[in-house]
Amino acid sequence: MIFRKILVNSAEAIVENKLRSALTMLGMIIGVMAVILLVSVGTGAKRYITSEFESLGTNVILIQPGKTDKKNSMGPPVASSKGKLTMADVEALQKNSQSLSAVSGVMFGAGVVKNESSTNNLNILGANDQFNRIFNMTIIEGNFFSREDEEAGRRVAVLGYTIKENLFGSGNALGKLVKVNESEHRVIGVIKPTGDKLGFNIDDMVFIPTKSSLRLFNTDRLFGIRATAKSRSGLDDAVKELTEVLKERHNGEEDFTIVTQVTMMESMNTILNMLTYALGAIAFISMLVGGIGIMNIMLVSVTERTREIGIRRAVGARRSDILKQFMIEAVVISVSGGLLGIFISLLITYTLYFFIPGFDMRPPFWIIPPSFFLSFFTGVIFGVWPARKAAHIQTIDALRYE
Amino acid sequence: MALIELKNIHKNFIMGEENIHALNAINLTINEGEFTSIVGTSGSGKSTLMNIIGLLDLPSLGTYDLDGINTTSMSDDDLSKYRNQKIGFVFQSFNLLPKASALKNVEMPMQYASAYNNKLTDEMIRKMALDTLEKVGLGSRIHHLPNELSGGQRQRVAIARALVNNPKILLADEPTGALDSKTSEEILQLFHDLNSQGVTVIIVTHDNNIAKRCRRILRMNDGVIKDEDNSGATR
Repeated sequence: MIFRKILVNSAEAIVENKLRSALTMLGMIIGVMAVILLVSVGTGAKRYITSEFESLGTNVILIQPGKTDKKNSMGPPVASSKGKLTMADVEALQKNSQSLSAVSGVMFGAGVVKNESSTNNLNILGANDQFNRIFNMTIIEGNFFSREDEEAGRRVAVLGYTIKENLFGSGNALGKLVKVNESEHRVIGVIKPTGDKLGFNIDDMVFIPTKSSLRLFNTDRLFGIRATAKSRSGLDDAVKELTEVLKERHNGEEDFTIVTQVTMMESMNTILNMLTYALGAIAFISMLVGGIGIMNIMLVSVTERTREIGIRRAVGARRSDILKQFMIEAVVISVSGGLLGIFISLLITYTLYFFIPGFDMRPPFWIIPPSFFLSFFTGVIFGVWPARKAAHIQTIDALRYE
Repeated sequence: MALIELKNIHKNFIMGEENIHALNAINLTINEGEFTSIVGTSGSGKSTLMNIIGLLDLPSLGTYDLDGINTTSMSDDDLSKYRNQKIGFVFQSFNLLPKASALKNVEMPMQYASAYNNKLTDEMIRKMALDTLEKVGLGSRIHHLPNELSGGQRQRVAIARALVNNPKILLADEPTGALDSKTSEEILQLFHDLNSQGVTVIIVTHDNNIAKRCRRILRMNDGVIKDEDNSGATR
């Protein structure tokens, strides 16, 4: 009964000082918005990177020559002094492995591709007829390599979209000849443009069969092997099987490194979670500032209302009644600020998402209860001291206070 | 029956390095239904005495029985309860809440009274406040803020606030100090009326003319009661 009446008193005091209450609330609104928006940026970035990652191809396994013991390293080593992967390893995997749906040796190096109208310095990628299945590549003109192209080491090329435009403009490229490092190749396909994916852009590459690329770079040592497991759940089994097959061929020695999309995702997630937490910590500071703002205003308010406190005490308010009144006032201000902050952040992120669907910074639902409770506890923590001060003012001094 | 019984009350303050004896061995009994004034110059100790009688301050030494109960060893919460239930205050500067209407100001003590009486509903509190405002002659100005009222009207609101919880004692500290003589007269008449209805009234003042309106006059000087005069007017 009395609690409800004190609550009404507090609410009235807040309404009586509209401007001051609103400005105090603003600190809390900004604090809560900072928490929600920064965490949203963190999780939004994570969502974006994850989806980009998955669009590169699912269940992908990367095998690189050489061994590093480090677990969960971000990417494969790019060159190795020890260990060697060859076309024979690729063939063995294709023949003996049940859990892999596609295997391709890859060769990767800089080169020059030119015709009469254009010269391009770019990356040349040697790959076999299964490579497009591993990385979900779509051919929009012509075809990808056939098995015969690969086995015979034919001088054929599949162009990334940007390269095709550079060399042939909007004209037809199929069947035309291009020079890849002075060696003439016939264009048999063009790949659908994908744009930049985590710094890796297929549009700027030229693909030739692995055998042709080994000849071109004059080596028998593959840059690496790429494979894809038949299913996500079969990924671990595929890695095991693949390791056995390769070890047997390498005299029992594990002189290669296997990285799966899962392990890459894990290390990526670790970084992105750290980013989210760091942003959350920064937001927490603004919460703290908002809390100090509340404490500051409540202290001013206690001083200003010393006489009111004296009057209330004289007519029978207990210390605890005064304490409650000022505590409730601080909590009501901080919680309403918190709720407004939650509302405004949702409004901003959903409006942005509505107009720019690609810019998805909608906050995850789990952040809302903690931000609410954070604003509640900020009010409690920073309201205690001013309220205690109010409760312990001497009544006779307070009544004389001018 | 003794409503207020002060025995050997002392009150000392330390101001800087000086020890001030504001009250010195006060013995005083006030019975229910009396109309008393405490007169003295500033510094005579009359306000300190009023604060102690009103349970706003505690004596340094001595005992104070209010309505038969010793108050000197009471907890702060009990003192609040006694102020709420037994005593009504009227101040020189009215001490109304400036942002609350007359009605809200009068309802305020009842909010705290509801801590001791669960049966008090909002409607009952409102009715008590309205009745009390009617009693002091302010039934028509209940929704006005203090600064929309005249001095006399403000003091009437303050008196209504003091009376709303049916206290045994009405303690008034210079109740007419901020009012013109005509309004002062009206307020004093109101005190007389209340006294005739059974409320024990104590007025603290420096003004002999006001004091003379009371039946019993206590003159204070240097922290002691120098003189008692029971020849005051009956109205």
